[in-house]
Formats: sequence, C-alpha cells, structure tokens
Amino acid sequence: MSFITAENLRFSYDDENRNVLDGVSLKVEKGEFVALLGHNGCGKSTVSKMLNAMLLPDEGVVMVDKMITSDEEMTFEIRRNVGLVLQNPDNQLVASVIEEDVAFGPENLGIEPSEIRKRVDDALRTVGMYEYRTHAPHKLSGGQKQRVAIAGILAMQPSCVVFDEPTAMLDPSGREEVMNTIAALKAKGITVVLITHYMNEAVQADRVIVMNSGRVLIEGKPDEVFSKVSLLKKHSLDVPQATELAYKLVGAGVHCDKMPLTTEECVGFLEEVLGK
Amino acid sequence: MSIIEAKNLCFTYGINTPFEKKAVKDINLSVNEGEVIGLIGHTGSGKSTFAQMLNGLIRPTSGQVLLDGRDIWENPKEIRKIRFRVGMVFQYPEYQLFDETVYKDISFGPRNKGMNGDEIDKTVRKAAKFVGLSDKLLQKSPFDLSGGEKRRAAIAGVIAMDPDVLVLDEPTAGLDPKGRDLLLAQIMQYHNERKNTIFIVSHSMEDISRIADRIMVMNKGNLEMFDTPRKVFSEVEKLESMGLRVPQVTKIMMLLREKGYDIPDGILTVEQALYEVVNLLKREGKL
Amino acid sequence: MIRDVTLGQFMPGKGVIHRMDPRVKIVLLIAFIVFIFCTFNFFALGVCTAAIITAIVLSDVPFKMYLKSLKVIIVIILITSLLNIFYGTGDPIFQLGFLKITLAGVYRAIFVSVRIVCLILISSCLTFTTSPTDLTDAIERLMKPLKVFHIKVHEIAMMMTIALRFVPTLLEETDKIMSAQKARGADMESGGMIKKIKAMTPVLIPLFVSAFRRAYELAVAMECRCYRGGDGRTRMKTLHMKPLDFGCVGFAAAVLAGIILCNIFLPAVI
Repeated sequence: MSFITAENLRFSYDDENRNVLDGVSLKVEKGEFVALLGHNGCGKSTVSKMLNAMLLPDEGVVMVDKMITSDEEMTFEIRRNVGLVLQNPDNQLVASVIEEDVAFGPENLGIEPSEIRKRVDDALRTVGMYEYRTHAPHKLSGGQKQRVAIAGILAMQPSCVVFDEPTAMLDPSGREEVMNTIAALKAKGITVVLITHYMNEAVQADRVIVMNSGRVLIEGKPDEVFSKVSLLKKHSLDVPQATELAYKLVGAGVHCDKMPLTTEECVGFLEEVLGK
Repeated sequence: MSIIEAKNLCFTYGINTPFEKKAVKDINLSVNEGEVIGLIGHTGSGKSTFAQMLNGLIRPTSGQVLLDGRDIWENPKEIRKIRFRVGMVFQYPEYQLFDETVYKDISFGPRNKGMNGDEIDKTVRKAAKFVGLSDKLLQKSPFDLSGGEKRRAAIAGVIAMDPDVLVLDEPTAGLDPKGRDLLLAQIMQYHNERKNTIFIVSHSMEDISRIADRIMVMNKGNLEMFDTPRKVFSEVEKLESMGLRVPQVTKIMMLLREKGYDIPDGILTVEQALYEVVNLLKREGKL
Repeated sequence: MIRDVTLGQFMPGKGVIHRMDPRVKIVLLIAFIVFIFCTFNFFALGVCTAAIITAIVLSDVPFKMYLKSLKVIIVIILITSLLNIFYGTGDPIFQLGFLKITLAGVYRAIFVSVRIVCLILISSCLTFTTSPTDLTDAIERLMKPLKVFHIKVHEIAMMMTIALRFVPTLLEETDKIMSAQKARGADMESGGMIKKIKAMTPVLIPLFVSAFRRAYELAVAMECRCYRGGDGRTRMKTLHMKPLDFGCVGFAAAVLAGIILCNIFLPAVI
C-alpha cells in the first residue's frame, strides 16, 4: 500500500460555491519525491493541507501511513509524521532564537529535553544552519529562514515533508538553498511532496502531477509530462526552455526519443541532432 | 534625450557606526526617454537602494540624481514633487492597499498630487484599464480582490500619478506563470502607449531579456555592466561569477558554440535558438 | 529610521550576571527592590548601594550604558529632590521668603535620590544581562504556581514569545509601507498633530491587515507543528541552579543581614 493515498477528494470553502477540489486522486510512495504543479487557485494548496489533516475533505478519503486523516485521535500523529513547510518563511518561525524555534515541534510532542537538544542539533546540521543556532531569525536571509523552518519540521522526525511553494518568496540563491535541502531530505529517505511554479524545480522530482481546476490534469515522470508542451502551454504553465526548444525542433521534423529537461540534456540532444 | 542621469552616485548605510556599509558605489549612467531598463543583481547588490534613490526616498550620501538635467535634491523641500514624476512600485505592492474601495485607493496618489476631481476620475479609470481592472472591481474593497488583482490595483495606484519614469521592484514576484505573463504584457502595453521610461528590477532573466532595451548589472554596489541584453547575456562567465544566471536557452546555445558549432552568441529566446539550429541543419542537408 | 529602534536593552556578554539563572535574577531583583525600601538610614542604604555597585561591576556591561539609563529619569530625580529639600522640618539653614531649606530636607533629598538611582541601576542590570527570551522563559516558570488560580501562565508566556519574535518584523514592515506610501506622494512630515495622525492611516491599515494575515499563517504553522497549548509540553532548555546562583543568593542574604543590622543599631534618618 502507498504511503499516502488520496481518493476522490472533493472540497469547497464555506464562502465559495465552487468546488476547489473536484475529485482528486493521488498516491505517494514511501521515499518518493513528487512535484505538484498548477496555477493559483487550482487546488494544490488545499491538497497539501489535507495531507496532514489541517483540512478534511468534504468527500473522499486521505490515508497517511495506514491512518485516516478524519480520525481525530490520529490528528497529531499524522501532523508529526507529515510535516508542512509553508510559503512565507517569516510567518512560520515562533521564537526569537533559532534553536528554540526548531525545538518548538518536539516540545509540543512532549519529548525529553536531552532528546530535543539532540534532534535540534541534528536538524540544524541537516539544513546547514547549525552555526546560526543562537541567532535571531529576523536577521537571516529568506533562504536561511526557510531552512530553519524546514529544520523545525525535521526535528519532529517526520517520514514525509510537504512543501507548499517554499521558494515563491525567495531570490534565486535562496531557491537553490532550499532545493539543495530538499535533495538532502530525499537522500535521507524522507518522502517529499513539493508544490511549485518553477519548472526547473519540478524536473528534479521522481514524478510530476499537474492539477487544473480541482482535478489532476496529467501525471507521470518529468520527461513524460513536460513533453506535452502544447497541453501545458494551453493551461498557461511554464515548460523549461530546454524542453520547449526540443519540442519545437520536433515540430520542424527532427527526431527525438526522450525529451530533454535540463541544460545538459538539451546540449546532448542537440549534439546528437547536429552531428559531432 | 536623457531623462534621468546618475552622477558619481553613492550611498552608505549607517555612517559612523560599526555597521557602516557602502550599498551603492559611484554609479554613473544616463537613461534616455522611453527606454526600458532591466536591473539585475544578487540580493544585497545595491539595486533596491539605487532604485529608491531615483525618486528621492533615499538621499544619496554623495553624487547626484538628475531628472531632466536638474538635481532632484536641489530643493529638498520639493522632493515630494519628484515622487510624482518618478513613480515607484515596491515589491509585493499589494500590502500597501488601504482605502475603502479600489477606486479610492488608486486615487490616493493623484489626490496627493493635487489633481482636481475630473482629472482624478480620468486618470484612475485609465490606470485601471491599463492593468485590466474592470469598473465593477473598482467599487470593491481592495481586500476582497484575488492576489493577482490586488497586485494590479496597487500598480495602478502608481500609474495613476502618470509618472514620466516608472520604477518597478520585482513586479511579478510570487505570481504564477499565468499571472506573471499577463502582468508583464500589461506593463509593456502601458509602456508602448505612454512611451515613458521604465526601470524594472527582476530575478527572472527570461523576463528581463524579453522586455529590456538595456540591462544594468549590479554587484556589491558597483554598476558592472550597462548594455543591451544581447551583449550582457553573452558574458555568461562574468554573470555567473556574480551569482547570476542567464536564460537557459542562452546557456545551451553558448555551450554548443563552445563545442565548435557555428552559432552566434547572445541568443535570448527559444525562437532565436530554433532559427539558428534549423538553419544549421538545413545547411548541412539534415533537414 | 524606525528600524534602528531596538527592543529591550540586552547586551550579550559572558559576565557573572549573564551566566546566572534568569529565575534567580528576577527573584533577586525583587528582593533588592524590597531591600532598597527597607533601608532606614544612610548606613543601611550604603550597604545596599555597595551591593548594587558590586553587581554592576560584575555585569560585564559598559558603565556608559548605566549612565544612559539614568539619563532618562534625571528629571524625576530632580523634581523629587526639590520637593524633599523644601518640605523638610526643623531649623532652616537657608530661607528665602516662604521657601526654606532644612538640614533634614537635604538629607531626605539625597536619601530619596540614591534610592531611585539604585532602583534604576539594579533593574537595568537585569535587562542588560538577560535576553528577552530568557526573561519570558523565567517568568513563565516562576509563575507556574499561579496555575492554581486558573491563570493561563503558558498562554501568556507564549504570547510574549511571539510578540518578541514579531516586533522586529513588524517594525521593518512599517518602514516598508511608509516608503511605499511616500512614493505615492503621502506627506507625513508637515502639518499639525491632527494632520500627522490622519496621514498615518495609509500606514496603519495595511500594517494591521498584514499583522492579521501573519497571525493567521502563524497559527496554521503552529498547528502543523502539533501545538495544542501547554498541556503535555516539555522544554528543551531546563533551568538548573548552579553553584554560582547559590552564591548569589547567599550574597543577597548577607546584604539583607547587613541592612537589618544597620537599621537596628544605627540611628534612623527618616
């Protein structure tokens, strides 16, 4: 059985009569890195909040590690197990000292002080912020704050972390810091669900799910999904320039087996086409 | 004719404190009327400080900003008048909305400028049209709008002052691709009709390369380059040493060129790249 | 710029007072405030002052900072001294019309001034050497027994922690909004009081809206991190009394003994 299974989710907010989610089903395997794409209002943030029982679907079921999110007794165990990192790094940090902020989660779980200390240090080392542990959050860069927020989730030792547009408010170097941290989590065997607008981030995933108006539009491996350039463009989603160029060359009559996603892949593809 | 000039422009934060930091170092440049200037640089490169000196929100510690050949700080008491001529849209401008209706909020700048009733109505509606806000939305509370609409309402609030120079600090930050493309298109359409000068700060090299006539590259407070996108983005190594990227397609074409293929440098768009590659294939009889 | 305003006056350092348990510091501060008011003659006050000066010397904070904190209350000291000088009873040593100055009045003035100075110095000693976070933490732990009276100690402490965390963020935000409105031609410098307050509306409304938005997002983030109030919560930092703290308590006890002895065996001033 998959680590996360969401079946036929339907949901609408009280003040709107439109269904934000209109029959979404998805699965996430243990240790997998899944990217969730779609433009604003397509329901992807709503899905993210359902994965850790912050929201419950009107219809449908979300199962996390054999627990049903609507089971109130399991709420905190699910939230511990599935951490959620939000968009604005400023509004996630609680304490005015970094290590105390990271300790906030484990403190809520009632863990022994000495064990909290160990977890906090480990989490800060994983995100590369250990040297800053006694600093104040407001003096850090956006990327650094976001890494502290991730450490705060890691200290609860979750098996999955859901990122809701974690890089939307960051500059390019901050984005890179966060993506490197995500790669480190994946290497540790943590399941990652990443919601993003940036295609160069999505191409790093094992699987991509594209949502549109409350439904899943397409899903598959990044090269499969991004090869559907015209479909993505129709829904005003970005495609990496590398893929777009290859796609247009195919349109001009060039043969291509596997769509390139990155700069290197595209250079390789063009070399092959042009002949050495 | 040059509309805005910087002469030996410098700014230092916290003079005579232990935190003294030179944010902008001796910048000299001249920008012509009607140009679109892209402003790129790593966070902390001094680009925001530079931008805020253009309309007198920050007073240079030395050097001058000239608007139509006159120092904007010639008469410090009149600095408010400069702000109507050099409009500034901050990052995440939607957080500055405050009035009861979108209409009233957009009219805040024009009212401060001292326009009369008819003028205000005309300029507000015109500004709203530029950013694609319908008349129905104008009577709503700004806090009831969607994220993208709020952003556009806030930008309209600056456009409504009808500035000769418009400075936009990362106008598309945090928007999705759809919202981003729409907003950029609206800004460019506004520019084409109003023919004013625009400074646009952005981290998106793809966007900048598409719309800018010239690009300012700032690094550690210095103006490192000031040239056409083609020239700027052909210096890939120099940009990368400053922690900046080039558009992905530019990088791909540069790597191919380095491998000995006959491709010109400074390719900025997918269309240009496609054209070059197809040409190359045709010449070799492969297509 | 608003950004330059710093909250609290904590000066990081590694002095003796810095290393003390914040709970002990708070309790001793309260003790010393009581001591100061229990001095009835110059000898007792002298003992108390000497103890406070010792604390200041040990505090590893430049003396300049203490002088700065005194500067704020100099007017209060002057006014109270003047009142005391003229309200003394007994034989005047100087008289001008209805104003008369007595020796007792002068003593009283000096006595009261020294008391106020002592109060300020010892309170500053606490705020200079203890970070706001440590203070909140210590207050929470000291107030724990009040739970019996259904006082929400944990909630109060949590609110203080969050407030401390967000003050710099909101100050920065105020600065940004002010710049943005100035860029739209808002005039915040000229005009009278009422005009200036009116001119702040475009700054205050966005600031409140933003504060509520932040509060909402923070609440979501806290729930995501399994926050459910103070029950069953542990703390990473545990406070333990160290030999240093026992030493300081001992020192304070000695000071108290000295004050009592002076009060009993030496003549009272007031």
